[in-house]
Amino acid sequence: MAPTPGQRPDRRDSDEGLIRRIVDGDESALGILYDRYGGLVYSVAKHVLGDSGAAEEVLQDIFHQLWRRSANFDSARGSLSSWLLVMARNRSIDRARRRTPQLDDEDAASLHRPSLDIESEAAQNEMAARVRAALQALPEAQRVAMELAYFEGLTQSEIAKRTGDPLGTVKTRLRSALASLRTVFRI
Amino acid sequence: MNEHHQFEEEIALYGLGVLDGADKAELEGHLYACSACRDKLAASRGTLALLAFAAPAVKPSPIVRERILEAFKARGGGPIRSAPPAPERRGLRMAAWVLVWAAVGFLLVAAATWLAVDNRRLSRRLSDLELAHSQLEAASRELEAVNARARAALEILTAPQTVQVDLSPAAVHPEPHGKVFYNPGKGLLFYATHLRSLSPGQTYELWLIPAQGAPVDAGIFNTDSIGNGQVILPPLPSGLTAKVFAVTIEPRGGVPAPTGPKVLIGSVS
Repeated sequence: MAPTPGQRPDRRDSDEGLIRRIVDGDESALGILYDRYGGLVYSVAKHVLGDSGAAEEVLQDIFHQLWRRSANFDSARGSLSSWLLVMARNRSIDRARRRTPQLDDEDAASLHRPSLDIESEAAQNEMAARVRAALQALPEAQRVAMELAYFEGLTQSEIAKRTGDPLGTVKTRLRSALASLRTVFRI
Repeated sequence: MNEHHQFEEEIALYGLGVLDGADKAELEGHLYACSACRDKLAASRGTLALLAFAAPAVKPSPIVRERILEAFKARGGGPIRSAPPAPERRGLRMAAWVLVWAAVGFLLVAAATWLAVDNRRLSRRLSDLELAHSQLEAASRELEAVNARARAALEILTAPQTVQVDLSPAAVHPEPHGKVFYNPGKGLLFYATHLRSLSPGQTYELWLIPAQGAPVDAGIFNTDSIGNGQVILPPLPSGLTAKVFAVTIEPRGGVPAPTGPKVLIGSVS
């Protein structure tokens, strides 16, 4: 299939190419993917869990999942980077809250590809700057609500309980924050 | 897709994982039935994943990389599969053997050995594949069971004969709310919110009060930390015409006929 505009052709060291090499047992391909996304996955896990050892276990577990499931990975259903980021967040929150996984791996694998290229380190740095700037631009109460939701996995009622604000206020804050972020990221 | 514009905000909130209680139950009911909104949810989750970049960048210990690659070598990927010898090189090697040993017999032995090794490799591969196949079959059976339950729930929500009943506070607690989806031929779904938590010796019990006859037990349930409870597809006699639904507080394990105070009640309109 010809690449659609904006979609990069499949290269041997693209995420898709590397996944195929992992299926063929190519250890170096797994190493390249680890170097590409391992830091990002670890940063999320460390931020959620606060503990290096626990975050490293989550990181290790996610990359084990990656190669165990590599043969089932379908780039048409979702991007690898999305899958890794969602897994990093969900597995860390599940662990922090000692709960069973809330979103199964197959669900996560069917995430739509964000129309953004984050395979290179430079692209990741640029994306990190964009996301942080977008969050910083939110009023503090909205930013706090988003961070509690995203990095602690709290529901709107739990956020209200944590911050002591009325549930309606929390709902409004989350809606406003998402509306602002939607204009930046088209959520 | 435009007719579902009103759900966009809720879908993003659901994708973020913040919806709970009645808001969550209501959207899940819609998502069961609407593939366009399920696609929107998938897209929303994919983009929300980018919020991960807000985490301060830190580096893991180099030993994690080693552990992952070691595990890959030892369990799944096996040793790095070295590139197979190029055909020309193999030809040269065989020619050298002919020159050195000048024995066709040896080539046969070498070929037999190679085939035996290859056979062992293929056998290992086959047992790996058989294992993967049995795992896939188990996963598939599990998925089918989940799908069947989801289909049954969807049928109740979408069937024309399904009645919707709002249950209001009876007096004990000012804020609880429940919703029943009931179809005499297909079954019952029930969600409740803002119920108070009960003592360990108590449980909530849902009752279907038919047009004629005694109340029928439609399932017991407990609430989560924020007072949400649910009863999904309880075993019920088929074809019962419901007049009223009610929730009572009963001793743990439930009772065959209601004895405790009613906390929610609603009539079929």
